[in-house]
Parts: sequence; structure tokens; C-alpha cells
Amino acid sequence: MDFEAVIGLEIHIELNCKTKMFCDCPNRPGDDPNLNTCPTCLWLPGAIPRFSAEALEKASLLCLGLGAELQPQSAFDQKVYYYPDLPKGYQLSQARRPLSCGGGIDITDEDGNLKRLRIHHIHMEEDVAKLVHELEGRVPISLVDFNRAGAPLVEIVTEPDLRTPHHAMEFLKALRTQVRYVGSSECSMENGSMRVDANISVRPRGTSQMNTKVEVKNMNSVRHVGDAIAYEISRQSQAVQAGEAVVLHTRLWDPDKKVTLPMRGKFEGPCVPDPMVPVIELSPAFIDEMRSRLPEMPAARAERFVNDYRLTGEEAAFLSADPDVAGFFEALVKKGVAPRTAMHWLATQLIPAVKERRLELGASRVTPERLAALLALLAKDEINANAAREVLAHLFESDETPEAIVNARGFKQVSDAGALAAMIDKVLAGQPAAVADFQAGQGKALGFLIGQVMQSSGGKANPKILRELLMKKLG
Amino acid sequence: MDSIFFYRNPAAAPTDGPLAGLKIAVQPAVSVAGWPADAGSKALANFTALEDATVVSRLVQSGAFICGSTLGSEFGFGLAESRAGEAVKHNIAAAELMLDMMGESRLAACGAGVCGFKPGYGLVSHFGLIGLIPSMEVCGLLAGSCQTIRHLLRALAGPDDKDFSLPDEKPGEFSAPAPEPSKTTIGVIAEAQSALPDAEKSKFRASVAALQKAGFAVREVSFPDWPLFLPVHKIVGSVEASSAAGRYDSVRYGERAPGARNWNEMYLASRGAAFGTLLKSYLIQGAYFQFQRYDAYENACRIRARLVADMKKLTDAVDFLVLPVSGGASEERPGTLDETYGRFAATAFANVTGQPALVLPPASAAEAPFQLAGPRLGDAALLALGDFLLSVREKGK
Repeated sequence: MDFEAVIGLEIHIELNCKTKMFCDCPNRPGDDPNLNTCPTCLWLPGAIPRFSAEALEKASLLCLGLGAELQPQSAFDQKVYYYPDLPKGYQLSQARRPLSCGGGIDITDEDGNLKRLRIHHIHMEEDVAKLVHELEGRVPISLVDFNRAGAPLVEIVTEPDLRTPHHAMEFLKALRTQVRYVGSSECSMENGSMRVDANISVRPRGTSQMNTKVEVKNMNSVRHVGDAIAYEISRQSQAVQAGEAVVLHTRLWDPDKKVTLPMRGKFEGPCVPDPMVPVIELSPAFIDEMRSRLPEMPAARAERFVNDYRLTGEEAAFLSADPDVAGFFEALVKKGVAPRTAMHWLATQLIPAVKERRLELGASRVTPERLAALLALLAKDEINANAAREVLAHLFESDETPEAIVNARGFKQVSDAGALAAMIDKVLAGQPAAVADFQAGQGKALGFLIGQVMQSSGGKANPKILRELLMKKLG
Repeated sequence: MDSIFFYRNPAAAPTDGPLAGLKIAVQPAVSVAGWPADAGSKALANFTALEDATVVSRLVQSGAFICGSTLGSEFGFGLAESRAGEAVKHNIAAAELMLDMMGESRLAACGAGVCGFKPGYGLVSHFGLIGLIPSMEVCGLLAGSCQTIRHLLRALAGPDDKDFSLPDEKPGEFSAPAPEPSKTTIGVIAEAQSALPDAEKSKFRASVAALQKAGFAVREVSFPDWPLFLPVHKIVGSVEASSAAGRYDSVRYGERAPGARNWNEMYLASRGAAFGTLLKSYLIQGAYFQFQRYDAYENACRIRARLVADMKKLTDAVDFLVLPVSGGASEERPGTLDETYGRFAATAFANVTGQPALVLPPASAAEAPFQLAGPRLGDAALLALGDFLLSVREKGK
């Protein structure tokens, strides 16, 4: 029997707010354990949660960035469960009245077609404490770190629109790009600021029933999500074919063995409305204000790049995927760099160079102004591309202008026909075999000769003039 | 009389501020930084409050002296083991602060023969109050006079950065003018007296007659759904309590039961050992509605909204309401949940609706203590009425 999978994702994203969701403690889960705590996030008796305005703004931006509709009213519930990471016995979560409904992400499926994956709703909730399991001698102990307790989260719940591991991975990549765009989170699965649970069921292809699903957790990269879903689809398909029933439960992905394994269920009770956190009412003015703060989203930006700068769809998508890259690109263009040159230099020179130096694009010495000045020298033929690449390396090391570097280090291109002619004559005289090859019709001998002249010029010869002169001399 | 205190403040009383010289007792559900705050429960044994409740810090800032913490019942629920009211009765303190979840401050005042006031919901900060029913509980005040209560409220009321459930608007100065009896209508809720034994009923009628004698327009009004207040309180209150008490797991404070092999067993055994019978039955009831009969909880919330709306209509039609304090139950020290609720049958309504309510002691042995209630945010006018009635009595003497 041929099976297809029905997949829904639940994605927790940690908002990059300064404080936790219900108190003023710094939202820095990575600090030394239990440093960022207070009676509220330790949930001590008498403390009252105070909902953070910043969390609401960052969450609202995130919703709008995903095309979701903010609800005029949303509210927090108490999601009851008993576990040592949650000493107050309930998690504050918008279980019944979420912040937004609807929205979705367009992905390209395996066949190259555009596919819309819908979002059911997005709600806010507080994170719980982190349990650290260790050995004290030979006794296993569990430690609780409350730095993360009360950290602001949103949970994005998709419709069961996904069918394949590819859909899930593309959805997550696009989601990450869009959330980074609005600036609400870094969405790093490796660092835990984005956590993905997948609900998977299988059914015979062509049918429309919804079968019992299995939840899979513990994937810490987009690739693992794809692998875990693929494994689970094949596991369930085999089980159904063998006549076994799929039971509702949760499984953990084991990245080393590349299998999912059942985990022990934890007790989860129903939700009751929380009496202490006021109902959140969003005024039309607030929603407008959030909308006005929304940056141009990647899809729209890519489209504009294609139209305005005549880039290919692929180039535009590459540039717009990262807001820093897109911003850098536009700054270069604004400074007069030709769009294609800007795109090319970013992709092949600057980004690899920044990465190699473990810097951030927006935080290195190479600002759009300095790179644009360098590229202007290139465009004016004052230096050649080889020299430009070397000047770029110097730009990372000093604050001198590209002109100063070019002048001080003799990167200026030799365009003087007389000087070039002398160099050519010398090379031709020393390479009679190559000259003979060329004249016998071997085209690649020309490249060799150009290389020889370039070398004798110390890399500074103007390649265009050099080529013209050489052709003339070789007749 | 030291036995009424669970903890006494060793510090010296402040001498500055508008409330200087005023000694105030608190029940253990009201946090005072550095004081043991067990809220009357083994589940909170060894817990020391880290911060002052807002009610405490505001009184201290105004110069009042928090003289000690009096013995209370577990989490302030009911009055079974509580000594609330005695400090005021015996002039050890000018006032006492305690949680009012279903009428505790009003019934304690009644027992002590003093005034008891439950502010309307949203007037006084909840920060630092260790309770069980967040949507219904509020800090009640006991004092010898309505004037003292008014002084205290002036310091206590108003928005608090630590409690976002309060409205942003600052309430008035609590200096409502004395009511003009001939222009003031007081409604007597007929259904509220139905459970009273005959002897109490006639005493209550004598109190109502005294209002008429003072010149007020008194008329009987009907609240047909009155019997629903108690079940709504029981269901919503117990569900909130069940959720709120989830944090008492004996990990960080409280008595930890020995012998458990893992954390889950430790939770179960410690919670089993920590809570008293009354509270346990309340929490189990709440868990039942939460986990097994959620529909009943939802219905109770819906009915609550209707009761609030009906009460608003009633308080739009009359200026004040007068009701008995006694729920008619005879047990002074009730053992079961039903008996406990029975004692609070006439007071729980104000916790369901959030309106202010005031208990005044009887003028004579022939009368009963009685309860006055006003519309939401009518706290100042209600206290002015109480003030007026007490001064009429003084003049009559």
C-alpha cells in the first residue's frame, strides 16, 4: 500500500526580549544558573505575574510578519501539569484565546511548485525552568535552573498541511528567515531559541481521513526534523502494513541512532483561565502601530530586487533571505555600485571573508561606504579585480580609505600603453613556443601569455588594455 | 493575650506619618518581609516572606506599626482555627488586615463585635497576599470604627506597579459626604434571610427597623438567583484553589514527607501530609470540577457573569443593600466543607460579584450585626453610610 503522511508542526520560539514575560528579570537563559530570578519567576507565594509590554510587541510583530491576524482579545490560561521544571504546577499559556489566528508560509515543494502551508494560530506562553541531569559521584541528581523560567515564548501551530520531510524543512527555513526579519528572535534550533515538535500520522495515499498521530520531539536542527519525520513516516507505514495500531504518544528523536523512541508521557490536565493576568485587548491603533513597524518581508523584498535591479529570482532570494545582507546590498546600490556587481561581491567576496574572520556583516570595518568606494575604483579601472580583492583584505585590518590603501601599497592598475607594450615585448621574446602555439591556432596559449604579462606587472596590469595590445602584437 | 499572635514585631513603632501611632495586626496570609509567612499551613512551613505585601508597605510608609501576625486558618480559608478580630476587640491593635475569600473578614468582625470591610475588587493590591482564590479574594479590614477603615484605605487604595489586575485610575479620597437619609434607599434582599433561624431573623428585622427609624427609605427587593451565589463560589473558588495550590510541593519550603522514592511520590506524600482536612476536601473538589466536570466549571463562570449583571441592576435601583451576616448555620467551628460554606452563605455573594461590603456590630443585644453592600466602586459612599449609622447610635445614647 502507498502511504502519505499528514504532518503538523508546533514550533516554540523564544522572543529576544530584554526581560522575562511576567517579571523584570533579564531574559538571559545562558547566564550562570539561577542568576536571573525573582519571587515571580520562582513562583513564590504572594508574587503576581506582570505581563511584559515588550513581549506583547515582539510577539505581535512576529504574528504580523507571518501574515496572521491579531485577535482583539486574547487571554492567558493556567495549563496544569506537575513536573519539577514547573514548581507552580501550571504554565501560563494562551491555550484557549490565542494572540493571533491564521497566517501561513509559501514554500517551493519537491516539484518546484509554490505551496501554501497554513498556520492555525500563534499563542504566547512562558517558558519553564531547565532541568540538568548529572551524577554526584554515582548518584544521579537533577538540578533546576530557573534562568529560563518565565522566558517569553510564542508557539506557532500549523494546520496539518505538510506531507513530506521536505515541506517541514522548507517551512522551518522560511519561518526562521521571516521571524529574523521582524527581529523578534534569532530562531536558532542549535541554541534552543527555536524548538520544533512534529505531529505525524499516515494514511493510504488518496484518502482524506485523519489517523492517530504521534508527536516527535528533541530535534535540534532543521535537518534532524526532516530525518525524524522521514523515520517516523516509514515506521508508522510499516506498522500499519503489519496490522499494528498506531497509538497516541510522544517519541524522542535520537540523533545518534537516527531513530525515534517512545518517551514516558507526562500528566497534563485541562486549562483554566488565569485570574491574575488581565485579558489582553489590542486596540486598532496598537495593531496599526505594529503594522507600521513591520519591515518589508523577504518575499516582497526579493520581488522588488528582481524588478528594480534586474537580478535573477535566485540572486534576489539569496540577498533577501538575511535582512543584514539585503540591507548591505541596498546600501551599496545607493552608493552607486551596479546591482550585479554589488550582488556578486557580497556573495563571493565579502560574506565569505566576514565568515572566515568570525565577524558579523553589520559589525566589521568593511562598511557599505568603504566597500562602495573600493568598488568605485574598480569600476573606474583604477585597480583591477585582483587588486580589489587584496584591498578588501586590507579594509578588514585598518580604517584607511580604499584610495589610501591603493596609493600607499601600489595597487594602482597599469593602463599606460607604453609601459604595457614594453612588458609584452619582453614576455613574447622569452616565450617563442607559446607564440608559435597561438599562431598555430591554439587559443589557450593566449591565456598563458596574458598570465605571464600580468605576473611581470605584479598583478597590476589593466587586463582589458593588456589583452588588446597583446592581440595587436600577435597580429 | 499573646496566644492570638503567631509572630510579634520586635521593632519599634515609627513616629512619623499620617498613620503614626496606629498599631495594625495582620493575618499570616499577608506577607511582611522577613517574617514567617506560613499562611497557617504546613505546606508553607519555614517560608519567610521576601517582600512586603503592598498593603503592608503602604501602611508602613504612612507611619503605621505592623505589630504582629495573628493566628489564622489554613491559607485564610474559613475561620476554623482563626483568632482574627480578637486583637481589635481587645484593643491590642487598632485594625487588622486579613484575606476575605468568602466573607472571613466580615464574619470575624461580627464575632469580635467590630466593623469589618471587604473592599471592592480592584481597589487594593493583591501583591503579597497568599491566598487561594485570586478572582474573589481581597484584603479585608477590621477596625473599631468606619473612620479608621477609611483612614487606612486612603493609604492602601490605588494602582500598584506590582499588581496589573488593578485599574490604572486612582480612586477618590474616600471622603464621600454623609448620606441624606430621606434621599437614600436601602434595599433588603428578601432571599438573603430565608436560611436564618427565626430568632436571628427577628434580630435582623430589628436592625432594619433601626435604619428606617434613622430616616432611610428601606424597601424589600428580590434577587431570585440568590441561591446560586454559593454553588458558583464553591465551583469557581475550588477550581482556582486547586490550581493555585499546585505550587505547594514541599520542595523549597514546607514539610517534606519522608520515604518517597521519587519526586512524584514525594509530591503526593508531602501534599497529603501538609494540607488539613478542610483544605484537602476543597482542593479535591476543585480538581474534580477541573478534570472531570469542566462543563460545570464553565457553566459556573457563565452564571457568575449573570449574577454580576443582576447585582448591578439591583444596585442601580437602590443606593445600598442590607443583609444579615450570618449564613444561618449553627456550627461555630465547622468541620466539613458544606458546614464551612453554610456559615458564609450571606457573605460569599460579594466575593462572587466583587462589590464592597461592610459589617457593623449591632446597636444592642436586641439587634443582629448586619451587612451593608454597595455598587462596585461605591466603597467610599458605603463607609460614609457606616460612619453615619454609628454616629446616629452615639447620639442616641
